[in-house]
Amino acid sequence: MTTELAANGKPFVHQQAAHCETGVTSALFRHQGVDISEPMIFGIGSGIFFGYLPFIKLSHLPITAFRSKPGSVFRKAAKRLGADFVIKTFRNPQQGMDELRQLLKTGKIVGLATNLYWLPYVSERHRHNFSGHNIIVLRETESGFRICDPTFAMVDCTADGLQQARFVPGPLNPRGYMYYTKSINPHPDLRGACIKGMKDSCNAMLKIPLPIFGVRGIRFLAKKVVKSPDKLGFQEACRNLAGLVRWVEETGTGGAGFRYMYAAFIHEAAELFGSAELANLAEEMDAIGNNWREFSVISARIIKKRGKEEATFAKAGEAMLNCANREEAFFNNLQKVIRKIKT
Amino acid sequence: MELEDELFNDGLPKAYYKQNDKGQYVLETNAPWAEKVSVALLISGNRANLEEIRKAVIAGQKSPLCYYIEMRQLTPKMLAKAAGIAVFRVKRHLRPEIFAKLKPSVLNRYTKALRVTLEELKTVPNI
Repeated sequence: MTTELAANGKPFVHQQAAHCETGVTSALFRHQGVDISEPMIFGIGSGIFFGYLPFIKLSHLPITAFRSKPGSVFRKAAKRLGADFVIKTFRNPQQGMDELRQLLKTGKIVGLATNLYWLPYVSERHRHNFSGHNIIVLRETESGFRICDPTFAMVDCTADGLQQARFVPGPLNPRGYMYYTKSINPHPDLRGACIKGMKDSCNAMLKIPLPIFGVRGIRFLAKKVVKSPDKLGFQEACRNLAGLVRWVEETGTGGAGFRYMYAAFIHEAAELFGSAELANLAEEMDAIGNNWREFSVISARIIKKRGKEEATFAKAGEAMLNCANREEAFFNNLQKVIRKIKT
Repeated sequence: MELEDELFNDGLPKAYYKQNDKGQYVLETNAPWAEKVSVALLISGNRANLEEIRKAVIAGQKSPLCYYIEMRQLTPKMLAKAAGIAVFRVKRHLRPEIFAKLKPSVLNRYTKALRVTLEELKTVPNI
């Protein structure tokens, strides 16, 4: 945790976060005086999700999303907490940068979506061509901008580098996506917001009538994983599996595909509502997180060719199916518990 | 093993949620083993791929455009949208004999989309 001054001289506290968007949102709220943690924002903004998108490829591998689409967490969380906020995109890069400078002069801190590949301070293992990495700009300096990246640290970034990352030619253009809060309700209705967020998550995980989303998506992918060595060959199947593990563990999920973060949220919510049932559910979510971790360990053993009997693609698929079954039960129970608790 | 350590010592660390003894979630920066293994596999694969393409370009089998598409983690389709050139033309330009005859106006579109200079686009780095 480090503290630094923002544009208007107000101290800004940098707290390390696991995920970029939730980290940015909670930092924006904290800066305005509402003390709210990262898992709380994740739960209220209904971040938890599952989607397998084989038709969109990033560096030749299909996308497996463990959270809802970029941008929605901030929008939903800010709405549910009763904040007045602005979201903007730009066509013209110059206009986008000018508007950012003007906002910083008025003393606001601004959240931006950038392309991870073009951010100058990102190391090789994080350089995906992914255009939804969120950062906060604190103020303008002589050489560029002072940036708080909640997943990494406080860094300096040149104006050119930032502009490149905000406006990338092509279909992955974030188009200078920019958001900030105008005003914030100092005493938000946390309980109501939590219930709304949990309800939304239940619907997203259970009720989307397409086989690639939610719990059904996990089952769909599990079947695919089991079949993959026959269809693609061992080498290619390993690559696909490694890509999947990367989505589970690496892309800012805080481990186990956001399941640990969601468990942290349910723990907090249980304390907030004083509900024993929610506390039980939180423990169930811990176990689901551990299951996902197990799955990634099995996958890593397959990739490393360690223990050929117990680490097979069938075992990995089984672990995923297990996760799917437990998650289905979890969200069904959560729905029942939500009906009982009151705002 | 070396590649994993090299990759994970480089750059700024990321945080992961982990339960402490009391069952509370805390953030720590040790990456899980499974992640290290799979990231190392993917990155070594990407590097080998890029190197193969570079050699093919030097041997005259592919055009330098191939190399820069791979380097920027794009596909011909994405590049076509970024540069404003039809996909079938981009795919045609992947052939070295056709790429060599391109006019500067077309090359300039590629340099803007790929963010490389004109000299760079005509060749690949020779290591």
